[in-house]
Amino acid sequence: MAIDVTTLSTTRRRFLKGTGAALAASAASGLCLPALAQAQEITIISNLSNVGQRDILHRLAAEYEAKSGAKVTINNMDHEAHKTAIRSYLVVGAPDICFWFSGNRMKAFVNKGLFDDISDLFARENFKSVLGATTSAVTVGDKQYGLPMGGLLWGLFYRKDVFAEHNWTPPKTWTDLLAFGEAAKSAGMIPMSMGTKELWPAGGWFDHMNLRINGLDKHIALMDGKVQYTDPMLTPVFDKWNDLIKAGFFSPNHSSFGWEQAGAALAQKKAAMLDLGGFVRSAFPEADVPQLAYAPFPEVVPGVARYEDFSVNSIHVPANAKNKQGARDFLAYFYKPENLGAFLAAEGAIPPRNDCPPSKDPLVNAAVEELKKVVGTSQYYDRDTDPDMAQEGMTGLQEFMVKPERREQILERLEKTRKRIFG
Amino acid sequence: MPRFWRRNRHWMTPALLLLPGLILFSLVILAASFETVWISLLDWDGIGAKTWVGLANYVELAEDPQFYVSLKNNIIWLLIFMLAPPIGLALALIVNQQIGGMRILKSLFFVPLVLATVTVGVVFGWVYDPTYGLLQLIFGLFGGTAPALLSDENFATFAVATAGLWPQIAFCMVLFLAGLNNLNEDLIGAGRVDGARGWRMLRHVVLPQLSQVGFIAIAVTVIGALRSFDMVAVMTTGGPYGSSTVLAYQMYEESIFSYRFGYGAAIATVLFAIMIVFIAWYLRGLIKAERSNA
Repeated sequence: MAIDVTTLSTTRRRFLKGTGAALAASAASGLCLPALAQAQEITIISNLSNVGQRDILHRLAAEYEAKSGAKVTINNMDHEAHKTAIRSYLVVGAPDICFWFSGNRMKAFVNKGLFDDISDLFARENFKSVLGATTSAVTVGDKQYGLPMGGLLWGLFYRKDVFAEHNWTPPKTWTDLLAFGEAAKSAGMIPMSMGTKELWPAGGWFDHMNLRINGLDKHIALMDGKVQYTDPMLTPVFDKWNDLIKAGFFSPNHSSFGWEQAGAALAQKKAAMLDLGGFVRSAFPEADVPQLAYAPFPEVVPGVARYEDFSVNSIHVPANAKNKQGARDFLAYFYKPENLGAFLAAEGAIPPRNDCPPSKDPLVNAAVEELKKVVGTSQYYDRDTDPDMAQEGMTGLQEFMVKPERREQILERLEKTRKRIFG
Repeated sequence: MPRFWRRNRHWMTPALLLLPGLILFSLVILAASFETVWISLLDWDGIGAKTWVGLANYVELAEDPQFYVSLKNNIIWLLIFMLAPPIGLALALIVNQQIGGMRILKSLFFVPLVLATVTVGVVFGWVYDPTYGLLQLIFGLFGGTAPALLSDENFATFAVATAGLWPQIAFCMVLFLAGLNNLNEDLIGAGRVDGARGWRMLRHVVLPQLSQVGFIAIAVTVIGALRSFDMVAVMTTGGPYGSSTVLAYQMYEESIFSYRFGYGAAIATVLFAIMIVFIAWYLRGLIKAERSNA
């Protein structure tokens, strides 16, 4: 380009024209970009907070890439942030595979037509024969919408060395529990470690009390909004819970910290027991993990069968996925017993397949054994009921734990919410 | 083309330069605001079908005890934040002295401005920790026990707003420092000749010249108090049991956790209505100032 005097005198004009042309060019070239995308590409959005599990997922993806020639992209999100992000990405910009929770939380998306029916994958790989009853966690109306992942059995955890030192045994009945609380207090320990900053541990405690007092069917009826929160069936639940609060069973100021700190209190021998899932191990130093032991929540009303919270995570193909066939093929590979087993062992979760290699983790094996004695399972307060109800409900339960005298107002408020949501 | 351009460039150049900003503003701010008002009239879970419910969300809001808790907390935030301009002014006057070592002190006061609010929230969360926190250490020196500020419904909002106040004071201080650098030397000299010093100098010569800056400091502080969200989210997540929520946080919680976008939008609209009063007042002040300068 020749530069003459006239160009120099009109630089600004040239500049504006040039910018316009550049913008137009870049816009036009941007339009043809998608055509370059690879046909065989599988994208995964994961919500894994466990580093070990992320590493295994990446390893399996790399192995699959080498085997099939497809390109696997994994986008990992923060676990809590993912709970909100999934609602938008399922509608706009869905990956081919995503992690989520089975049961009611899955059903909410199935009802909106956002998860793909993968019954064909179940039939092709014959998953029903190895999954057994767990299939029901991902089934809506005879069709399967996801693959069940690791299960978490909820219950009480304690340190074996602390119990041996004080000559304690895990409480089996309500009377035992009250006596145990007194013993722990006189030993200078908090009987039940609890951190309710994130609300849900209060919901879990409520689950366990209600399952032990009213049983599974009535509990599920409450979760489904068919029983009022002011129903007299809940009176003994809150009466007994109130007794524990009054007796100083729970961590003081529990609303100012979360489960990690509650778990640390257990590890540091400041608290005697903790109501949680097997992931409590992550609050323990490596050397102390062997001291950790599981005990079921004690019986409250004699004669009520043993029901437990058992939550099952899951993995899905969104209905708006671009490469549904590729997603199915990757899932079939990922779900092979040895791959799934390695993935779940990193988390300490219970494998849903009955042909996974036996775990080397005594906590997992104990949970598997315990699960055999369980008559029926619910998932967890915020997984069993409507999310809106769960938010209000867990807030109310936290308030009850701090201000038990406000019980009437809290339950009336929850009932108002239940009526609004379930009608 | 060149003739067309020459004839029209007096208006086209500014128009073209303004265009990107205008497009962004109308898309991100204006359109979003109108859409929020529209959504507040619907029952919508964020994904599924939208149902027209008219003013039902507002009626429910008027009966929602949580809404009044949030509103009350916003007022507490506002009152506490009102401490920021006077304290900021006092600090600015102190660090503006020509004394050795003042530079270091000045930059120390700048620190909270550099930190992200989330960081401030986390740090204050540690300070308030009833077992290991700095507050407990201080109380412990006197043989006392620190109250668990963040888990007490009566203290939580005050504790969070106090944490929010810290960077806000630094911000006001910076504004006033800038103002102090622009003081008219002639006026100060004239005041000195007339025998003004100390308090009288401050009250009658310095402060009147800072009134513009003071106005901006107050307006920005008010808006900062009303849009408080991140501190609450980090320090208490609105707890214990919703006693420290503010409108912005309640809006987030209703929309994102309870999946009630219509209801959340109604809260946002109310917050917007409150804010617009202050923003209008702020703009009026700015325009007035521009006119008087012109």
